[in-house]
Amino acid sequence: MAATGDEAAAMESISKAPVPPTDLTLTLTAEPEHKTDATENQKAKRPSNNNDGGVETAEEATEPAEPDINELCRDMFDKMSVFLQGELTATCEDYKLLENMNKLTSLKYMEMKDISINISRNLQDLNQKYASLQPYLDQINQIEEQVTALEQAAYKLDTYSKKLEAKFKKLEKR
Amino acid sequence: MASSETQPRFGQSVKGLLSDKVTSCSGDVIALTRQVLKGSRSQELLSQAARNMVIQEDAILHSEDSLRKMSIITTHLQYQQEAIQKNVEHSKNLQDQLKHLMKQ
Repeated sequence: MAATGDEAAAMESISKAPVPPTDLTLTLTAEPEHKTDATENQKAKRPSNNNDGGVETAEEATEPAEPDINELCRDMFDKMSVFLQGELTATCEDYKLLENMNKLTSLKYMEMKDISINISRNLQDLNQKYASLQPYLDQINQIEEQVTALEQAAYKLDTYSKKLEAKFKKLEKR
Repeated sequence: MASSETQPRFGQSVKGLLSDKVTSCSGDVIALTRQVLKGSRSQELLSQAARNMVIQEDAILHSEDSLRKMSIITTHLQYQQEAIQKNVEHSKNLQDQLKHLMKQ
């Protein structure tokens, strides 16, 4: 019981440190000046002093202190969690950035895939149409050969007619 | 070791020891978190991946531009093929006329 009283008094001393001095002076008589076991003994003496009234000092003295400790602890853990979340959020944001970049790149590649599918379809149609044009191209080659032969025949005809004209003029002179 | 640290030292109260302990524990948690993140090398790898993706973006844009030009060229080839188709249909008459001329 004495040990628990000492621990309660120690907790009281710890909890009452951030409290303004006015509160300390209200609850404790010599705490701001002494921080040794003597004060703890004085604090420990309090329950014994107030035990005369049938109410334990620990309840009376710690009730205003506990909310401060609880709030401070909650505040500390909240801030620790915020810090840890912040540390991990950086990596999460990197992953999200990479995810967005990959999504945009995949969309770009899908557009390119559609374009390339259209190009391949059009080129296949073009190859078929050019294959259907092949007989006509052969005809054009034949036409070219015939035109060349016609040109040669025309040249021959031209030279023959010139020879014939020369002979006729010679005969006419006689 | 823990008991020797928690026992009150000369000139220090339990309150001071407890606050020191809480501070050291929170510092340890922070250091542990940072060490875990550093050890995973996620920051380096992810930044390297982002850098490589940015380098490749230029090549991807160039490829897309080339594909669009190819589609335009294919469309022009289609137009030219239709024009050739129209003009090639006259070649049959031409050939018949030439055959007639050559016979003569």
